[in-house]
Amino acid sequence: MKSRHKRMTLILGGLLLLVGATALVLSAFRENLVFFHTPSEVAEGKAPTGRTFRIGGMVEAGSIKREGVEVRFAVTDTARSIPVVYSGPLPDLFKEGKGAVVQGKLGTDGVFTASEVLAKHDENYMPPEAQHAIDQAQQTAKTLQQ
Amino acid sequence: MSTSESRFNLYHYAAPQAFYPVAGKLAPAFAVIALLLTAIGLWISFFKAPTDAVQGEVYRIIFIHVPAAWMSMFVFLVMAFWSAIGLAMNTRLSALMAQALAPTGAMFCFVALWTGALWGRPTWGAYWVWDARLTSQLLLLFLYLGYMALVAAIDDPRRRDKAGAILCLVGAVNVPIIYFSVKWWNTLHQGASVSLTKAPSMATIMLSGMLVMALAAWAYTIAVALYRVRVLILERERHADWVRGELARLGEAN
Amino acid sequence: MSAFSAILRRDMLLAWRSRADLLISLAFFVIVGCLFPFGVGAEPNQLRAIGPGVLWVAALLSCLLSLHRLFAQDHQDGTLEQMLLSPDPTVLWILAKVLAHWLTTAVPLLLITPLMALLFDLEGGAIQVLTASLAIGTPILSLIGAVGAALTLGLRGGGALLALLILPLFVPVLIFGAGSVDAYLAGTGASAHMLLLGGGVLGALALSPIACAAALRISTE
Repeated sequence: MKSRHKRMTLILGGLLLLVGATALVLSAFRENLVFFHTPSEVAEGKAPTGRTFRIGGMVEAGSIKREGVEVRFAVTDTARSIPVVYSGPLPDLFKEGKGAVVQGKLGTDGVFTASEVLAKHDENYMPPEAQHAIDQAQQTAKTLQQ
Repeated sequence: MSTSESRFNLYHYAAPQAFYPVAGKLAPAFAVIALLLTAIGLWISFFKAPTDAVQGEVYRIIFIHVPAAWMSMFVFLVMAFWSAIGLAMNTRLSALMAQALAPTGAMFCFVALWTGALWGRPTWGAYWVWDARLTSQLLLLFLYLGYMALVAAIDDPRRRDKAGAILCLVGAVNVPIIYFSVKWWNTLHQGASVSLTKAPSMATIMLSGMLVMALAAWAYTIAVALYRVRVLILERERHADWVRGELARLGEAN
Repeated sequence: MSAFSAILRRDMLLAWRSRADLLISLAFFVIVGCLFPFGVGAEPNQLRAIGPGVLWVAALLSCLLSLHRLFAQDHQDGTLEQMLLSPDPTVLWILAKVLAHWLTTAVPLLLITPLMALLFDLEGGAIQVLTASLAIGTPILSLIGAVGAALTLGLRGGGALLALLILPLFVPVLIFGAGSVDAYLAGTGASAHMLLLGGGVLGALALSPIACAAALRISTE
């Protein structure tokens, strides 16, 4: 009887552990398991200040300006855009209107100084998070217009 | 009535001795089907399917690559199924089926990786990129190799069957976790230029070619697994009288 | 519970009596970590970038190195069969053995990780995240590894076979462990990674002792 008791406790413990594991994994998904912030988030002050982080979105059309070794452009999710300054080699696929992820620090003047620029390849490919952010931003813009 | 009959039949054929002749009849049939389907599939792939607008002729590798990748994943699932049955019902044949399937799964895994590399070179400019699908396929190959190595390392047949089954189930639990983590890791570390996510809508003729090839791979897997399981049965039951008789018959035929 | 603590105490004592073995896997961790700068160059930016991943891989290998001893001695002297026959629940004393393994191999490694991180020029916050991720992640390695150790018990070529069996299963732990430091450095915070690793520990805690018990029964039959 006693060993049966023990067995039941163990099975119960195992089930509790599994429930706990599921809860932790689910809450991990609620945290941002993304690896970049969107320009809207940055504008709302959700991004860390004084630390390195990444911004993901589209390179705004007509925003690329080259000044010597420096390149200035803006990353947008169509609702907000963040000006970026970067000096260094740009990837071949970096183009206006295409997806890009930039890593760097946000200055006090609101200009993002990038230390690294990643371009996304495909015509219509965009990181799903960025696509989601753009959809949401457009949705808000629509509701505001109405 | 009929259910009890079919139950009886299933249990009857779960005995290696009873399954041996059935496998011997089914295997050549599936081999013929596989051969026919491969011929039709290759004909569609190379003569009927048009050249792809973007990728040119290179895309034709998908007629082998995609069915191989599908099959490599599916075979692992089937192995896990047989392993679970073997552990739960203590049937020797289930473990033998899993062992018979493993080399074919590993082979398809390797073919998928290899053809993927050949396709990647002209398309991406690199034989290998750490794309999520490629990486998880590679890890799947390691799981297959681990299973085969474990089974080969154990001499005692009972221990071999059960240890293999446990490893297979542990692997099957981990496959989704591995796939998820690799996919997530890939979005994080994806290099500048590569994306597999675009799925161009496929012309019907291309799709049908691929499906026929997939069915061919299916038939091939069944045929080869049945041939292999026959050998495994003979090896396992070599001290039984019926195997002596069978071996004598085979010897005379040669 | 008494069986749990008795086995834990016994295994800790045995580990302490052969502490040279423990030092070997610790030294292995340090040396593997130190080899990388020689291989890839000592450029600080590069070292900072690869540091967390290298230390995680070194921890993984060091854990692997000590795993095949987990049941080997008990198997040789017959203790294992006695324990399997005992009325105490098998999973309980397996957990005790795994805990002892973790305490004797992973904890020393955790203590030395901050020092190793300095060699890779990691800053204070990153070192904390790295150590925390190792603290949460290494129990998963011990738990999954125990299944592999039980399956390969007494087989020829056991060590290499064990590596082939369980290293692919370690990949998710490696990804989220090393990824946590990257996420911290990229400014998105490591909490999601820590939660996933924590979920992994609980899941492995629930499932792997069962698989391990089954594997031990098969291996000693």
